[in-house]
Amino acid sequence: MAKSNGAYGTSDATEPDTTTQPPHATEDTRANTGANADTNASTDASLNAHAKQRKKRHDGHRPIIWVVAALVIVALVACIAIVNSHSRKTATPTQSDSIAIGIKLAPVSLDIRNQSGSALEQLLIGNVYEALVSRNSNNEVEPGLAKSWTISNDGLTYTFKLNEHMNFSNGDTLDATDVAWSINQLKSKHYYNSDQVENLKQANAPDATTVKLTLSQPDANMLWYLSGRPGLVFDKDAHYDAKTTAVGSGPYLVKSFDSSSKLVLQANPKYWGSAHKARTNTVTVRFLPDDNAALNALTSGDVQVLSPVNANMTGKLKSSGKYTVKANDGSDKFVLAFNCTGAKTSDKRIRQAIRYAINHKEIIASRGGVDAALGGPIPSVDPGYEDLTGLYPYDPAKAKSLMQQAGYSTSHPLKLTLTYATSIYGSELGEQLRSQLSRIGIDLSINSVEFSTWLQDVHTNGDYDLSLVDHAESHDFYKWTQPDYYYHYDNPQVQALYAKALAATDDEDSASYLKQAARIVSEDAPADWLFAYRVSVAQAKGVTGFPSRLTQSVLPLWKVTYTPAQA
Amino acid sequence: MRYLIRRLVLFVAALLGLSLLVFVTLRILPGDVASVMAGTNATPARVAALRSQMGLDRSYPQQYADWLSGLMHGNMGVSAISGRSVSSQVGSHAAITMPLIVLSLIVALGVGVPLGCQAVLAANSRVRGVLHILAIVGGAVPALWGGLLLIMLFGRGVGLVGILPSQGFPDAGWRNPVAALASLILPAIATGLVAGGAIMRYTRACLISMEDSDAVAMAMACGMSRRQAMLGVGLRLSAAQLVSVAGLTFAQMVTGVMVVESLFNLPGLGAMLIGDVGNRDLVAVQSELFLLAAFFLLLGVLVDMLHHALDPRLGEQSEERG
Repeated sequence: MAKSNGAYGTSDATEPDTTTQPPHATEDTRANTGANADTNASTDASLNAHAKQRKKRHDGHRPIIWVVAALVIVALVACIAIVNSHSRKTATPTQSDSIAIGIKLAPVSLDIRNQSGSALEQLLIGNVYEALVSRNSNNEVEPGLAKSWTISNDGLTYTFKLNEHMNFSNGDTLDATDVAWSINQLKSKHYYNSDQVENLKQANAPDATTVKLTLSQPDANMLWYLSGRPGLVFDKDAHYDAKTTAVGSGPYLVKSFDSSSKLVLQANPKYWGSAHKARTNTVTVRFLPDDNAALNALTSGDVQVLSPVNANMTGKLKSSGKYTVKANDGSDKFVLAFNCTGAKTSDKRIRQAIRYAINHKEIIASRGGVDAALGGPIPSVDPGYEDLTGLYPYDPAKAKSLMQQAGYSTSHPLKLTLTYATSIYGSELGEQLRSQLSRIGIDLSINSVEFSTWLQDVHTNGDYDLSLVDHAESHDFYKWTQPDYYYHYDNPQVQALYAKALAATDDEDSASYLKQAARIVSEDAPADWLFAYRVSVAQAKGVTGFPSRLTQSVLPLWKVTYTPAQA
Repeated sequence: MRYLIRRLVLFVAALLGLSLLVFVTLRILPGDVASVMAGTNATPARVAALRSQMGLDRSYPQQYADWLSGLMHGNMGVSAISGRSVSSQVGSHAAITMPLIVLSLIVALGVGVPLGCQAVLAANSRVRGVLHILAIVGGAVPALWGGLLLIMLFGRGVGLVGILPSQGFPDAGWRNPVAALASLILPAIATGLVAGGAIMRYTRACLISMEDSDAVAMAMACGMSRRQAMLGVGLRLSAAQLVSVAGLTFAQMVTGVMVVESLFNLPGLGAMLIGDVGNRDLVAVQSELFLLAAFFLLLGVLVDMLHHALDPRLGEQSEERG
């Protein structure tokens, strides 16, 4: 290669090559065509005739190629058919030992002590990890690892009696020391949601089956919070990578986890209890963020349950007769927050005008008509709920006059920006709000951001006019009592009522204080609650035991079974 | 030899520049992994604690230096969120994307080159016209739409002839090669046909430019038929160009298959990148982008070398010009 330093000019250098190449190539072709090579020794005059002749011969060879191609395709199809029929044979008419469930949002890791996201709670609590107390699908507290408890009259000491002979999936014993250790770790390491149990001072284990919690002040929500992340019990002696695996005490253990495709749960052979023993050996949870792909997965039988399914796509499922589709109540609140200390939205008249101008019925209808109207900060599944939709009914005329008082009209509109993650909540919501608000003299521009950007700009820095997000958590009213939360809502009356609700030792008293507080919040219009998202769940015939409420936050899978229809 | 060394030095320099570019651009993104991990309920104190726990409070130059020294030792870092090493993360996703790209490329070349030749060589001018239109239409159909159509035709459980899986990758992965391959057939056809349209047009254009070349005329003068001369000489001379096009198509597909992957619910490189950027898992993203870009560069070098091997005329020229 390196022979010709300057011996040839560059333009000359190519020439010898081009002239020498064709004969080479011709030889190759001759060799390839083999027997036909001799017919090529021809003159210019007969070239044309030859060409036609050879074309015909060439055509004569073609069917062989096509036959081979057809054979290959047939063989492929046959292979696939065999694989298919093989996989079908394994499906017995009796109860299947596995079931697949499709959900939308994947947890990015299994680190339930650090990582945010409701998918983690939904999948792991009650299935892989267990809490001191558990929560049923009516959002009520039930016995969990503790079989009973007593609360002192001053509400400051909680004494839990644990079940006996409990153990983790690795065989380690689970007793009161693990419980106390887990709760004290939560406090000292500030794990996720540790701020929910701020009033919890300390956990002690006087004996192997007794746990004593000491509170700094009474907290009516304490038990409920202990049924969630703050109450989870971990093995203090186990060393494992909590991001990729899990060692818990629940009826299932994590067989494999890949946040981009699925979580495979397998029945825990060492499960300590009998009440919640897994009825199906393998539960695969597939993560299907794309609605179309999710629907395909259900109809092609890759998953037997889809939660959630897009409410606008359920028509065919229902009419096919092979699936049942049901919407269920949950704690998801689509909150359109108005920055209460923002330059323009600090004016209460403007906030009220926006609430009057929003046509909730229209929004809900466009989403498939299954979501529920919500007029205040407390969802229907939480204590203190009351229907507050009457406070700000759809009234564009009133909205317009409020805007006029504030100095704006359609000819002199107020410019506002709505910041939200369109990739999660869709761009349609923003467009609907823009068109509804344009009628009362608000020129709404949509700032479409990624969720992580929303977290930074809106949630952390509080820099926004309007924001839209799904606050999925239950019992999260306390955010309206924290002026530094991104709502920037500061009302001492609400804070006082909430403190009373927490201090109340009677559930009904507590709920009535919450009710009063929620009403005041809604009247002050620091936000509009667009709707309470109701999750539509589609399941194939033959699936039983799938929870019917609160599936976004509590998803006990131990009683789920699937019996395929006989084919 | 000198050419090769020069190429490699350039390659390393490009990698260094690349690492800096990747690092800086990612730092411009608003948001960070600590606030994503902490979520909507977090107090500022918790976010700060997470930040220092994950080393996000170090200065940027220090973070860059740490990352670079890791790279030099072949350590791509560990994802702050999933806790997995980036190399294993990339590996497990590439095990889906790369075979898919190779399959798509086989489809694209298998469709594009023969039909491209036919579009020039077919005796009937109508056939040529139809093939030309086919090439343009094929290249213009969005892979997403084509994929949907394929699912409706062949997707198991949903299609008219439901014979192929259309959702996800089998649990056993490549340990079950038949099922793994079957799950890639439809997506490979969806992307392959689109790329095939483009390759068909390139093949056609290359061959047309060869039609009047001296080489083909010479071959015909030596007794070859027009068809023989075009396929034996013309196509051989176009091979170098076609390899370049195929290389570029390969590179394009790394990002191009993302849409199709999401449609068929395949957890490939695209899903991984989108997820990690969304979570602001910057250590993971920067290593992933770096690996991808290095792969592109490497592909460029390989294509260049192949180009040289296929077209000896280039060897001396480029050695001169360097």
